[in-house]
Amino acid sequence: MILYLPWIPIATAFLMLFVPESQDRLIRRLTLGACSVCFAITVSLLVNFEIGNAGYQYVQRFDWVPSLGISYQVGLDGINMTLCLLHALVSLAGAFMSCSVSKRAKEYHIFFLLLVGAIYGVFTVLDLFFLYLFYEMTLIPLYPMIGIWGSKNKEYGAMQLTLFITAGAVIALFGLLVLYHRMGANSFDLIRMADTLKAAPLDQSIQNWIAPFLLIGFGVIASLWPLHSWSPIGYAAAPTSVSMLHAGVLKKMGPYMILRVAVTLLPDGVAHWATPLAVLAAIGILYAGYAAIRQQDLKFIIGFSSVSHMGYVLLGIAALTPVALSGAVFLMFSHGVMAACTFALVGFIYEQSHMRGIADFGGLAKQIPFVGMCLVMACMASLGLPGFSNFASELVVFIGTWPRYPLIVCLAVFGILITAIYLLRTVQQVCYGPPNPRWSQIKDAVTLFEKFPFLLLLGALLLFGFWPQGLLRIIGPTVEAILS
Amino acid sequence: MNIMWSLLIPEWTVFAFLMILLFGEMFSREFSGKLASQVTFLGSFVTLIACFSVLGVTDSTFGGSFMVDSLATFFKIFFAITLIGVVPMCHEFFDRRLKNPGEFYLVLWSSLLGLFFLVSANDLLLLFIALEIFTLSLYIMAAYLKHELLSIEAGLKYLILGSLASAFMIYGISLIYVSCGSTSFPVIREVFALRTTHSLILLGILFILSGVCFKVAAVPFQFWVPDVYEGAPTPVVAYLSVASKAAGFAILLKLLFTVFIPFEAARTLMFSVLAAMTILYGNLGALVQTNIKRLFGYSSIGHAGYLLIGIAVGGEAGTSALLYYLVAYGLTNIAAFIVITEVGRRVGSDKIDAYRGLAKRSPFLAGTFFVALLSLAGVPPLAGFFGKFLVLLAAVRGGLGWLALLGALAVAISLFYYLSLVRMMYIEESSSEQAIGVSPVSRFLLVILTASIILVGFWQEPVLSFTRTAVHALF
Repeated sequence: MILYLPWIPIATAFLMLFVPESQDRLIRRLTLGACSVCFAITVSLLVNFEIGNAGYQYVQRFDWVPSLGISYQVGLDGINMTLCLLHALVSLAGAFMSCSVSKRAKEYHIFFLLLVGAIYGVFTVLDLFFLYLFYEMTLIPLYPMIGIWGSKNKEYGAMQLTLFITAGAVIALFGLLVLYHRMGANSFDLIRMADTLKAAPLDQSIQNWIAPFLLIGFGVIASLWPLHSWSPIGYAAAPTSVSMLHAGVLKKMGPYMILRVAVTLLPDGVAHWATPLAVLAAIGILYAGYAAIRQQDLKFIIGFSSVSHMGYVLLGIAALTPVALSGAVFLMFSHGVMAACTFALVGFIYEQSHMRGIADFGGLAKQIPFVGMCLVMACMASLGLPGFSNFASELVVFIGTWPRYPLIVCLAVFGILITAIYLLRTVQQVCYGPPNPRWSQIKDAVTLFEKFPFLLLLGALLLFGFWPQGLLRIIGPTVEAILS
Repeated sequence: MNIMWSLLIPEWTVFAFLMILLFGEMFSREFSGKLASQVTFLGSFVTLIACFSVLGVTDSTFGGSFMVDSLATFFKIFFAITLIGVVPMCHEFFDRRLKNPGEFYLVLWSSLLGLFFLVSANDLLLLFIALEIFTLSLYIMAAYLKHELLSIEAGLKYLILGSLASAFMIYGISLIYVSCGSTSFPVIREVFALRTTHSLILLGILFILSGVCFKVAAVPFQFWVPDVYEGAPTPVVAYLSVASKAAGFAILLKLLFTVFIPFEAARTLMFSVLAAMTILYGNLGALVQTNIKRLFGYSSIGHAGYLLIGIAVGGEAGTSALLYYLVAYGLTNIAAFIVITEVGRRVGSDKIDAYRGLAKRSPFLAGTFFVALLSLAGVPPLAGFFGKFLVLLAAVRGGLGWLALLGALAVAISLFYYLSLVRMMYIEESSSEQAIGVSPVSRFLLVILTASIILVGFWQEPVLSFTRTAVHALF
């Protein structure tokens, strides 16, 4: 069933080409249907996932271009199982949020489904060629989606985002090609590549010069400081479900690729560059946090906040200890769900008010109690309140990183303080305080249909906040196997 | 002399249609109006089928000067498919502008005859004659709109610079004849293998190569491209950008890998520098264009750069990557030019501004153009992506890592101007809301081409094995 995950949304998008534009209910149902089916498949894969098995499960393989060693191979281990679950949650919530798009709805839904399918592709294939193919394929829908349906500076934001990510992708592609060539096994099959390189690792000097291409190339999409500038601008411009998918899931492709390719195949090269990576990550945490304090626009605050949080993920990866890596993967999940939830809430408010400045609001918790409370909860999750999975995952990252970089951990912990400053200020100004009479007409989410995406995402955060072991026991064995 | 006529079935077919058009022109007025394009369209399919009659055959005739091998057949099939794509464009384009476009198709067939002999030539003289038949026809086609100043300018510019390139080439051929005593490829190969540092031969090679580089529009022989692309009739530009480029690379492959084999070390250095300059010039120049045909002129220079990487790397990997790239580029460029022709005819302008709001005026044209542009930029899972992937992989394997990195970075640059076009079509609003129609033949061809762009990009094995078989003729 894992084989169908990317192709269900893509095939639905293709089908939708033949649906007349006037049938917008059918179009919405197709999107919801495709995302729900994928969600169900992912959950069933998770339920049947064999815990304690460090290797790949559900592996299927088809030769594609034998002369170059390209095969279409799929499979899940602890890392991409977690990320598939993240994507299933966020894309289902995103599908619900896309239902409110009324302008050129058909095109929007086609692009949305292509994006969802390509991301499923990234998280399920185990062949370097197809991994890269799906990775760059996510670019096709992003540019028009932000450009057409976005707001405020949308053309600039769309172009900057696309060009940054493409530049990163081609730099990484060069690194991948050199790696493939130097390995000499004539195979893009990741399992085989890992085995070959474990038996006969590349020379330290070669690893040292290939690794930076991968770290920088994939670091761009993980918004590694100082390559992050596309991220807040792009998110501020993007429509709701694109911000959700991008901040929630697409950004996680960067650390995922670093783990899957760089850490697994070039362990010594990554170790060589780990300290600079950790330093950049720490600068990113503090710098983006400080920048978020200075923002007035809600989407910019969340955008900078996501850059800051990705710093913890990269820091966890740089530490290269099993605990830190588990924490990093767990944080990818927690932050993804939280970021998607926040963007969904801000999008919900923005669609009615067309305002995003925090000073424009006040007392929303009174006017729209459900959405207001969800926003408060999402912000609490983001600043690491115990009970939400963000707390658990950040804690694991710090514990795991401590033995390697105690000084950097000390600095990074300040990041949490900074997060608390800007998020509490946001919550206070937007949700509490005197109600702004301008928004007395604003509507709350009343029907279950409107409430569902928020409940789904917050529910996942709470579930794994109280039961972190639920994910950590899946991630742990895989991470240990990678580092051994 | 025993001549094997069966080897010439494709050439005979082309010749037969050339004659049909010639006599049709002479004896019937109506013929010249509509029938000529229909006969040509039919003829392009017949030619394609005729090309399959020599598939897998390797033999030579006319005393060894005419040779059929897998590479020649590959190119013949490529040219026939190009013709299938170009003819409906010509019909669309000339329909309203000219009363009697019949002569145009006559010239088109004669250029095709030149191309067919060109790729089968096994002798420098036949090569030169075939090349001249081809380019002379192109000069006429470029200047065919004789009432439009830009078209005349394009034709004249192309003629003057093209003749200069031909002069270089024939001078080089004469130098080689002087040193080798023959124009036949096998003889030249043997002589050159024995005297690899003979200065006259080397000088001759340089002259010939610079003539060919003019054809493929490699920097510094690219100056004619933007002006000619802007002025010439759109279908001619499509033909020029695909067929002329492919012809140039066919000559390069044949000469460098079967005749001047010991030239290898110099070849790698020379062509990697040429490729780097060409990629940079084309992609940077395209950034500031306002006319779509000019933009495609610069972008075609950029693509020539990637193709030159294949020549620089050489070997089976490099050359088969080159052919794959050529297939992807050909399919995509034809699709793009069908859209440009349709928009040019119905909006009446080739300015990039004319594409404002195209997504609303014609979702179909905008959608197919979107796919074509992304394929040209090299975004997966489209044909252009796998072409670039193969070329860059070959460069890395051939020890030209710096060139691969440069080529990879240029992808990001090129995405900027391709996406600017996407922005025009999808994001900008048009002043006119009037829908734009598409002729049924163009619609059909666009569907087929778009499907094959996706198919060639995602299901690579069939085309890859076809290109591998083709380059077996070289090694």
